[in-house]
Amino acid sequence: MTTTEIGSNEQYNFDIVRRFSFTAVLWGLIGMSIGVWIASELAWPFLNFDIPYITFSRFRPAHTTTVIFGFGGSALFATSYYIVQRTCQARLVSDFLANFTFWGWTAAIALADVSYMLGYTQSREYAEMEWPIDILVEVVWVAYMAVFIGTIMKRKQPHIYVANWFYLSFILATALLHTFNNLAIPISLFSMKSYSLFAGTQDAMTQWWYGHNAVGFFLTAAFLGMMYYFVPKQAGRPIYSYRLSIVHFWALSFLYMWVGAHHLHWTALPDWTSTLAATFSIMLLLPSWGGMINGIMTLSGAWDKLRTDPVMRFLIVALSFYGMSTFEGPLMALKDVNALSHYTDWTVGHVHSGALGWVAMVSFGSLYHMIPRIWNTKIWSEKLIGIHFWLATIGVLLYITAMWISGITQGLMWRAFDQYGNLQYSFVESVAAMHPLYMMRAIGGMFYVSGMLLMVINVMMTIRQGNNAPVQVPSGNLSVAGA
Amino acid sequence: MGWIYWFSSYEHTKPLALVILFVTFVGIVLYVYGNKKRGQKLESYKNIPFLDDDETNMREDKK
Amino acid sequence: MFKHEWLETNIGLLTILTMLAISIGGLVEIAPLFFIKNTVEKVDGVRPYTPLELRGRDIYQREGCYLCHSQMIRPFRDEALRYGHYSLAAESQYDHPFQWGSKRTGPDLARVGKKYSNEWMVAHLVSPRSLVPESVMPNFPWLLTTQLDYSDIEDRMRALRIAGVPYSLTKAEYDANVKKFGKQTADMLDINKARQNLIKQAEDNDYDGDPSNISEMDALVAYLQVLGTMVDFSKYDDDEFVKYR
Repeated sequence: MTTTEIGSNEQYNFDIVRRFSFTAVLWGLIGMSIGVWIASELAWPFLNFDIPYITFSRFRPAHTTTVIFGFGGSALFATSYYIVQRTCQARLVSDFLANFTFWGWTAAIALADVSYMLGYTQSREYAEMEWPIDILVEVVWVAYMAVFIGTIMKRKQPHIYVANWFYLSFILATALLHTFNNLAIPISLFSMKSYSLFAGTQDAMTQWWYGHNAVGFFLTAAFLGMMYYFVPKQAGRPIYSYRLSIVHFWALSFLYMWVGAHHLHWTALPDWTSTLAATFSIMLLLPSWGGMINGIMTLSGAWDKLRTDPVMRFLIVALSFYGMSTFEGPLMALKDVNALSHYTDWTVGHVHSGALGWVAMVSFGSLYHMIPRIWNTKIWSEKLIGIHFWLATIGVLLYITAMWISGITQGLMWRAFDQYGNLQYSFVESVAAMHPLYMMRAIGGMFYVSGMLLMVINVMMTIRQGNNAPVQVPSGNLSVAGA
Repeated sequence: MGWIYWFSSYEHTKPLALVILFVTFVGIVLYVYGNKKRGQKLESYKNIPFLDDDETNMREDKK
Repeated sequence: MFKHEWLETNIGLLTILTMLAISIGGLVEIAPLFFIKNTVEKVDGVRPYTPLELRGRDIYQREGCYLCHSQMIRPFRDEALRYGHYSLAAESQYDHPFQWGSKRTGPDLARVGKKYSNEWMVAHLVSPRSLVPESVMPNFPWLLTTQLDYSDIEDRMRALRIAGVPYSLTKAEYDANVKKFGKQTADMLDINKARQNLIKQAEDNDYDGDPSNISEMDALVAYLQVLGTMVDFSKYDDDEFVKYR
């Protein structure tokens, strides 16, 4: 899977980066394929085939876990290990611990997927892993924290670059969230089953404090760290404003933690909590857009790169989707909008404009930048990156358009009254109205997955090319391909 | 210790929190943007990703 | 004079301040929910699940029903007409974990109990499209053919007891339950009688229409049929619960 011919004498530990990059694209293909499958199950229910293991409701957590933690998580491990070494000009503090994070993390994702299909779940969205896997993740995370902070401690560069602050914030927040949201009491030491320590309202609040901050720190702060390194590197010019990044960092880290309760508007959660969350959601727009502007403006004066460089295109379009999602988010956090949008497909569309548009695209751009460099070669096919870009963009647009229409249609149908003041539609009429849109969503997903497949091929060919090429410089771990 | 109950009422803590947070925010912004020399120093850090550049720096390292 | 460079060059300081920045929000919003008395309404009738209902709830979780069905009715006119009285915090006070859900690919289930017959529920779970042709719900035929495993029912109730659900293990706890819920319910919450209670409830009601065995379907339907039925809203004034929101 990875090359080891370059021993531990190299300046940086890129072996671990190679492993995580490769598994990231593999998890991406698996997770997104499951996504297309379950989307198709909603359009054509016979696809459940009465097989418990792939029935929609058991298969969906496998989709979310594989893409968020398998694909996203592995991409974050890979890029953070790459960036922290290069910006600190220091090798990872421990190869053993870094390898442990790789095997531990990969095992956790695989075990989680299998356990959901067998029916073991905490039924907490995006935290479905049962307690033994939670403990494994916790241990891996502590090791990750030790490697990351330890490497920063032995840095040669006195200043800690801003990308690392974002990764640090992500690592700390994830540790906090994972620990408190998974407090549970196992029914016995030999059973996978556990019950959450909290109940009802408190449990709901804890879960959505987790749920939204998984988005805020795992899927945003960390990927902003990626952005702060790879956008300048790919553009060949420094970040637009370092001062803006300081304000951006503190405001984002502080504000995000308050907004989770906007997932619980109009529920039995006390009103003051959800109002507070709505207020902070609006304020969050500012740092979010600050970050987007900082990234996009980095390219100012070099806009022609958008035409010529497909990797740059991935990065900048990702930032545009980030800007759009972070505008849509506060909008949906308004209580009146939420009354319509909550419980509908609009939420699903919003998540995917963030996940497919921002998280996945910024990862694609970063991986395409990084993979040739760590395998010491050039990308196998630049043209394929261009095709991947268009497949991905068409896929996202189809997906989110379908979900906007279906979400708003559902919301309006549910609250429609006839002239006598009775409900105009039965629930199942709204289900029937979704059918064409669910097909459209599945087709959008197919576009996106075919792009992902091209990426896997491109990456595998690049790796082969890198492994076959004679190593010119004995300790040459750095790319000569250049940007 | 009676004064501590002053914090238990939302009418008190809301404006208090607002003032503290707003002052902190303005403080950060003033600090970051208020002084030209400091600004230049802060901006200089943005070149860190390029200090470790692929070809140039690598050669120096190996010497 | 403070310098941001201190943070930028000191990982310890940076870590501590970041930790501080990310901790405040959660603390302010979550901690009070455990202390403020108004978080959960005072209302009669809400009781922990019986052993059979509890196993049904486990199956509800296992099959991932929460991914398409919410259990949280909002205070809107259309939801009142479609689903019934809006959900109270008290109604999920024994739910470890909560099952409010976040998506209605199918309808809300917070008050689905007693709205459909057992026969309808069973037929619908086995093959939803045989009753509702437009439905996109998967079939769950294995529930009817799989024997319910209740060998660890005491373990499950004991774990929930640790989490704070008033299942009784001792005489004192049992007596407290008699006082709080009445004798009939208190008997059901006795961990020492869990197994016989479970079997008796399944045999008495025969939810799945097959008296010869206790299937997972028996448990799931028992759970679905109790959802939202514990509080008698005719006993309360319309405005009774507004003060808690």
